[in-house]
Amino acid sequence: MTDLARFQDAFVTALAERTAEPIAGWLPEGETQPAGLSVYRNTIAKGCVDALAANFPTVASLVGDDWFAAAAALFAREHPPSSAALLAYGEAFPDWLARFPPADELPYLPAMAWLDWRWTNALFAPEAQPLDAGAFALTPEALAAARPRLHPSLTFAWFDSGLPDLWLAARAPEPGEMTLSPKPQGVLIVRPDDAVQARVLDRAGHAFLAAASDGASLGEAITAAGEADPSADLASLFAALIADGVFVGLDLGDPT
Amino acid sequence: MSPTAGLGLKPQHYDDAFAADAEGLWFEVHPENYMAAGGPRLRRLEAIRARRPLSLHGVGLSLAADADPDPAHLLALKTLADRFEPFVMSEHLAWSAWRGVHQPDLLPFPRTRAALDRIAANIGRTQDALGRTILVENPSLYLPLTGHELDETDFLTELTRRAGCGLLVDVNNVFVSAANLGYAAEAYLNGLPAGAIGEIHLAGHGADEGGSSLLIDTHAAPIAEPVWALYRRLIDRIGPRPTLIERDDDVPAFEVLMAERDRAHSLLMGTGACACPQPLPVAS
Repeated sequence: MTDLARFQDAFVTALAERTAEPIAGWLPEGETQPAGLSVYRNTIAKGCVDALAANFPTVASLVGDDWFAAAAALFAREHPPSSAALLAYGEAFPDWLARFPPADELPYLPAMAWLDWRWTNALFAPEAQPLDAGAFALTPEALAAARPRLHPSLTFAWFDSGLPDLWLAARAPEPGEMTLSPKPQGVLIVRPDDAVQARVLDRAGHAFLAAASDGASLGEAITAAGEADPSADLASLFAALIADGVFVGLDLGDPT
Repeated sequence: MSPTAGLGLKPQHYDDAFAADAEGLWFEVHPENYMAAGGPRLRRLEAIRARRPLSLHGVGLSLAADADPDPAHLLALKTLADRFEPFVMSEHLAWSAWRGVHQPDLLPFPRTRAALDRIAANIGRTQDALGRTILVENPSLYLPLTGHELDETDFLTELTRRAGCGLLVDVNNVFVSAANLGYAAEAYLNGLPAGAIGEIHLAGHGADEGGSSLLIDTHAAPIAEPVWALYRRLIDRIGPRPTLIERDDDVPAFEVLMAERDRAHSLLMGTGACACPQPLPVAS
């Protein structure tokens, strides 16, 4: 091993173990607790905390700066970044929060983190041009047989409580009273153009997207939506998803 | 006109940056913040780049690690360089990635001859991958490491000879490191080869909140007067160079940063036309 590699191993150990002992061979005699080592350690921690605060803004606003910084710094010691592109840092943070004892009093926090993570991913997802309503002006048979291609930024999920509403309320510029409804609901997150859009999804809408993302035709997806909620207004549901910009292409099938 | 004094571009200033009409104004970003598949951040940078020269100033390549530069990181850099056609690209004389972990800081190392060989080779690989030369920036230093075989100025000068790279001189880093490690900032700056210097950085520093006597390169304050004085003497000696005002924390209004940028612009205009780095062929 080279001297440089030995130094780098020692320095990383010194950072992790909070002691200058591993790098003593590269320090002047008697320099056992150099303040500079803390400067590097603090800068690294701040870099991780700032990146996580940017990627998990709702979590940060819900728990406050001090709580967030303390939790994020602990997370960063267990899960340091593996890339310099910190806009993609923190995938493990939602699950980590679920196992973080001080977060026990905030049982909704991991879901808030997961939703933040999906929102941040949508922000940096590939570009794609949504179809406008005109693209769907097909014969009923052709429309039913067409298989939609979904926007690469699209995320949707189903929750067994009102966590999406809570998350959307917490993201409001001036959040008011926030209560967690026990009523199950879904969420849709997509970046059709410049801005990420997020809204609550009902059972039929979620069933439609679940089918479509599994490769179903529009006819099959509409059927799935109707089965999930027989009272759903399927035409409005479909029009709303077109307006959301979730469809970026149609593979026209063979109408039979 | 060619770029004179520029600003580190902050997302909260995108609209101001797009609308700004100052003579010689240019912008610099960390490419790592734009290593994304898509999204508004890239689009905004594209719109600003259509009006202004841009510099890509890397913080994550880890040139001073005893390891080859990460091919995926180099590819991401090259992709951004092809898209945004920066007038200059730069990195640091420091390491951050080691054995699969990225430490988001610019870490020190003993400046040995073996380290010089490794870093010159890493710069060479980087320049080969990018198809252009880069500038290498002097770091801010906080530890009195022993085991150095070369002064930092000699180390940097030797890198320019071996790898054909240029230098990015961060005057605030020189001031901070000189104060922390006990050497003369002026003598350090005088030891750098004028012809290799392609860009200058100016930023603010602060006291160590940890209570030590160290100065910290915070990028969270206006540029200190002693740093302005060093800067004036540097450009008197070497001539004008594209100069960047960096502010990354406690970021004030765009106009506040523009006032510092205008001061650097005036100083540069007083020393003649700005000698901008030309995209040199990669040294063989």
